[in-house]
Amino acid sequence: MKHEAGIVEGRIARGLPRYEEEQVPVLDVRNLKVSYTSSGPQILKGINFSVDSSDFCAVIGPSGAGKSTLIRCVNRLVEPSEGEIVLFGQDVRALRGGELRRLRRRIGMIFQEFNLVNRMSVMDNVLSGRLGYTGPFRSFFKAFTREDIDRALHLLERVGLQDHVDKRADALSGGQRQRVGIARALMQKPEILLLDEPTSALDPKISRDVMGLIRELADEFKVPVLCNIHDVQLALETCNRIIGMQDGYKKFDGLAKGMQKRDLDEIYAMEVL
Amino acid sequence: MAIAAPDASEHGFDAWVAHKRQRRIGNWLLVAAAMAVLGWCVWDTIVVDTDWARMGGALGIAGTIERFFLIDWSLIPHLLVPALETMMMATLGTLLGCVLSLPVAWFGAANVTPSKYFFYPVGRFLMVLSRSIHEIIWALLFVGAVGLGALPGILAVAMRSIGFISKITAEAIENIDPKPVEAIRAVGGNQFQVMYYGIVPQILPVIIGTIIFEWDINIRRSAIMGLVGAGGLGLVFFRQMAMFNYGGVTLVVLAVLVLIAIGEIVSHYARKAVI
Amino acid sequence: MAVATVETAAEPRRSWSRYRHPSSTIRFAVILGILAFLGWSIAFLNIDLSRVLGAFPRLAEILATRYFPPDVGYVTDADFIHSVVRTLEMSLLGGFFGVACSIPLAWLAARNITISRRIAYPFGRLAIMCSRSIHETIWTILFVTVLGFGMLAGTLALTVFCIGFAGKLFSDELEAIDMGPVEAMRSVGAGPLQVFQYAVLPQVRVAFTGIAIYTWDVAFRAATVVGFFGGGGMGWYLKRTTQQLESTRVAAILLVIIGLVLLAELGSGWLRKRIARMR
Repeated sequence: MKHEAGIVEGRIARGLPRYEEEQVPVLDVRNLKVSYTSSGPQILKGINFSVDSSDFCAVIGPSGAGKSTLIRCVNRLVEPSEGEIVLFGQDVRALRGGELRRLRRRIGMIFQEFNLVNRMSVMDNVLSGRLGYTGPFRSFFKAFTREDIDRALHLLERVGLQDHVDKRADALSGGQRQRVGIARALMQKPEILLLDEPTSALDPKISRDVMGLIRELADEFKVPVLCNIHDVQLALETCNRIIGMQDGYKKFDGLAKGMQKRDLDEIYAMEVL
Repeated sequence: MAIAAPDASEHGFDAWVAHKRQRRIGNWLLVAAAMAVLGWCVWDTIVVDTDWARMGGALGIAGTIERFFLIDWSLIPHLLVPALETMMMATLGTLLGCVLSLPVAWFGAANVTPSKYFFYPVGRFLMVLSRSIHEIIWALLFVGAVGLGALPGILAVAMRSIGFISKITAEAIENIDPKPVEAIRAVGGNQFQVMYYGIVPQILPVIIGTIIFEWDINIRRSAIMGLVGAGGLGLVFFRQMAMFNYGGVTLVVLAVLVLIAIGEIVSHYARKAVI
Repeated sequence: MAVATVETAAEPRRSWSRYRHPSSTIRFAVILGILAFLGWSIAFLNIDLSRVLGAFPRLAEILATRYFPPDVGYVTDADFIHSVVRTLEMSLLGGFFGVACSIPLAWLAARNITISRRIAYPFGRLAIMCSRSIHETIWTILFVTVLGFGMLAGTLALTVFCIGFAGKLFSDELEAIDMGPVEAMRSVGAGPLQVFQYAVLPQVRVAFTGIAIYTWDVAFRAATVVGFFGGGGMGWYLKRTTQQLESTRVAAILLVIIGLVLLAELGSGWLRKRIARMR
């Protein structure tokens, strides 16, 4: 198995202790199929993969390959039409209402367009990451606990926004806004991070900074990451594992180090033609 | 020249003129029809319907107007309480209108309505109904229902405000940016939290701006509520009119202007503070 | 499984509170002030809150019992239908004259293209504001006093009303135009009227047409009640029947008004949509 060998090497590469025992993957996706309308085209045509607790896994592929759909299926922002998604040992597709919300609060998500509430302050945006844990009374008065506020302050310092705490979110630059998004996701104390094109709205220099920061924080908090990214070079630099997709199929799954030029050519074959 | 000649006849000056002339004839016909309708209206309203003899000629009109300019300043102390009442009626009416327009906006916004086939049309109909009935008629209806006093005025102003506030609110809800909403859902927020953190901050400035605007208009409206028995400056206006004290009438009108100027100033600063 | 823990950093942490001294204090004071004013208003106007809620069921009850079978015969009477036609005439004339007067006024009252900022601008603003500030019913009463009962007074009142209504919208529209063409025309050496015709009007023509139609719509709504105060049209029937407590007739008249206003609104909405598409 290509990628199981990869886990161990990946852990060594990231300076983590080496696991020898068999372990259950954090996320396991089997035969996932998605089509948005019952008669429409299939976006995902049967995807299998799993993510382990040590993975920083990138999904790459040409645009329209279904990367974003794949990521959104994991927390059911998109409803899968067939297949199985097992996250933290729970069948994601079987969850209803409150169960789904309780699962979602364990998943941190960082979005392409940051998805901040522009008219709220940076602090409130970060604190909104705790909403899943906040009762109706507290959320109505925006009265978050002391602990949450301390954590938010710490995270804002960690992402370098300590001087922008009370600014409105739309007063920040793109890179700064994505840092707010990162802090919001980490507020959840996530057990897995989903990144949906976190850098494609940013310029190349800032993209590298942001990805570096995410990598650093993921290592620090020991959170596995599933990331969809269109910048192959950046993916190879930051991530330890690559899943290559093309037109709804998985074309490659393996270590970033082991990726050859012909693998890339295969993934991007459609675009070359 | 030989080559240019056919070009000129097909696309050149002559064709252009002909094309223009065709359009112009159509336009003239339209204008002539409109003028004929207007002319008939003028004939019917101003010439046939007006009793010129009763006005007493230019001198008579000038005499009446002159009486309006002999302003009765002695009335000022009697205007303070009615002016305050008018302001209060406008404010309470706007507040009640806001409260009542919340469900209407919720029903009438296509993306959040509880039922597309029942509540959506109901909400839309209520919006139109509220705006299509003049405030005087609303006031008449409420005077019949709850009797004389400030209350029917407040209710009338509120009913008339629902349409505009809820329409703008519903449009704001329909035009929100769905991305923050998605983020709050991804965090694990429940229905209420999605509304409160994802939608409300986006539409709040629009709603508050609309409320301020409506309050400004409602001052105008509540100033006439007294004409049908609902108190405030309108009642004073009505009494002065009944006593043929035209100087007092002018003073009341001036008082209305002052109130509206105050309203404009307050709403100017309030709008600045919100944005 | 990786579990993120709250790390307790040794460094002293800055504290944060939602409360900011000057801004939050001012905000709370303002909110408190508004609430106090509302409370005072309720007390001062002597409003019984239970009656507020009771008003709607009571209104429904009265409508159901006293107003219920609307007297259809009354509104199909030839005299009444004639008054409806007259209401329409008044709204057309008031709308037309109002729009015609408000375009030049709006030109004066638009800050960016006004003829002179010292004299013309305040004059235009003041004229529009005054006609806007006074409610159309007060205008009606004033004109009736001077000119006597009849449609002339109603038409003039509607005209003034339309000047205020359309003038505001027109001048807002004018202030939002692209100044490039205006500068181009000025640099060519065009006079103010030429600038208005060649650089300003083409930019706002479609919007102005839409506003003019909307103005007529609103004027028609107002025209239904000017008769109540002696301005002619169907409002006069409304006044007579309410004063004589002929509730079923009032109900019929109200239904006619609502129906006509809805028709006017639908028609003007349809026209405005078509015109917006021509843009």
